[in-house]
Amino acid sequence: MMGYFTMMFLYFDPGLGAMLVQAIVAAAAGIVLFSKNFMYKVKSFFGLTKSQKDGIDTIDYEQDEKQPNEEQGS
Amino acid sequence: MKSKAHRHPASFRDPSGYIVKEGSSIKRVINPIYFSVYDALCKANFFTPLFKAKLLISHVEQERSEESIVLLPEQIQLVTYPYEWSFHQYKQAALLTLKLQNYALDRDFSLKDASAYNVTFHRGRPVFIDTLSFDFYQKDSPWRAYKQFISHFFAPLVLAHYHGAEALKMMQTHIDGIPVALTASMLPKRTKLSPTLYTNIHLMAKMEAKHKDEYKPKSREIKLSKKSLRNLLRSLYDYIDKLELKEQTEWGDYYNKTNYQPESFNFKKQQIQKWITGGDMRRVLDLGGNDGTFARVLLKDLDLAVVADIDHTAVDLNFAQVQTNKEVNMLPLWFDVSQPSPGIGWSNTERDSILKRLSAWGPQAVLALAVIHHMTLSGNIPFADSARFFADLSSFLVIEFPNRNDSWVDSLLQRKREFINHFDHYNQEEFEHAYKVHFNIVEKVEIPGSHRVLYLMKTRQ
Repeated sequence: MMGYFTMMFLYFDPGLGAMLVQAIVAAAAGIVLFSKNFMYKVKSFFGLTKSQKDGIDTIDYEQDEKQPNEEQGS
Repeated sequence: MKSKAHRHPASFRDPSGYIVKEGSSIKRVINPIYFSVYDALCKANFFTPLFKAKLLISHVEQERSEESIVLLPEQIQLVTYPYEWSFHQYKQAALLTLKLQNYALDRDFSLKDASAYNVTFHRGRPVFIDTLSFDFYQKDSPWRAYKQFISHFFAPLVLAHYHGAEALKMMQTHIDGIPVALTASMLPKRTKLSPTLYTNIHLMAKMEAKHKDEYKPKSREIKLSKKSLRNLLRSLYDYIDKLELKEQTEWGDYYNKTNYQPESFNFKKQQIQKWITGGDMRRVLDLGGNDGTFARVLLKDLDLAVVADIDHTAVDLNFAQVQTNKEVNMLPLWFDVSQPSPGIGWSNTERDSILKRLSAWGPQAVLALAVIHHMTLSGNIPFADSARFFADLSSFLVIEFPNRNDSWVDSLLQRKREFINHFDHYNQEEFEHAYKVHFNIVEKVEIPGSHRVLYLMKTRQ
């Protein structure tokens, strides 16, 4: 039973620098996201926001698609 | 699975499993080392929602023994590689990868790799094809595939933003992605002022350089909370989502540039439809197919149209139309006929050349509309060579030959200056003579209102 043994290191070197830097990247990302969110709230208070686009959390489980045998748009 | 004899040459890096070709089907074999992860994923109902959303290629479990589990995935007609995607295709592939990592984290899993080769285009949209890329998430651990995501996705996209779409072709010479240090050196200095670019590229390059000789495990573990990791993913997602090419100007009436009389244009459309649809050819490769205008006429009767063009804007515009129209049988491909993407990686077989992949797919017809003059006069490719090239790809060829009175041909000839006489062979007779070595001319028609002739040819047996 392997349990929570991760196979990552068997596969490739993730890079120590890249592992260490993530804390800083994430902190900067947190600040950027916080300020964006803040601006969004300010804008929406004044009714200046557009509808939000697809984000990282958006997963459309009922994708519609056109079948090849349907008539194509002109 | 009894033998590993037919293991796909690209399938050796990840010990979790490998790809085999059995008859005409591609299958995925899971090694015992990955059983626990795979079973946990199944138990968590991880796959089904992703299949429904068409983010991950669907599969069924076909066999299970102590040595292996065999999955039969939905088959993909033609796998395209990152250096064959347009900017917006590339961008969609990057966003898909981040979305999947976010989805995995929700369920306590994590992507163990973020290679751009994990994604390809299928039924009009990007789809993740490496089912074995998911691993357990370990509490408070950083994302181990982060660097790979940056060099496979973020770096090429950011470089394309600053230097044009051609930067994406760098992936062809860097199978492991564009090194962060190289990316940092190529970005303008002012990018250090962007928190996202500074941290993800410049700072990472510095940290990588600083720690490159350390290989012993750190005494203290590196920690990153899940919330912080989510912020990192979300900020990358938002940044990539907003990235555009600087070179992109107005689209819309792009096709007007190619100056056709409406009469000739419609004649050409109808003639091609008659040959292709009438001949019940369902797999078509359109070389020099621009934004897919001609292939789109045939689309409702095709299984798949692969529309290849050297012009990035045309390919990107084609992809935009695929998305808007939700077309499932049109595949835009960024392709230069004079230098098709070669086999790269280990033994030159890890990533097959585009010609090898195209012939494995087996188009029933090749369309070469208004490309022969470019191949012959700009590329200096002799008729004999282009004829053999087309004959190797497919048994039917629809080819348009613009003669010397055509304005495009004239302009290409004038550019030869004092060497113009070296191109006297560019005429219909020489063309037919060379092509008859490989083909029989089934039918030829002059396109009214133009100086162009359309041929239907079939390879000699």
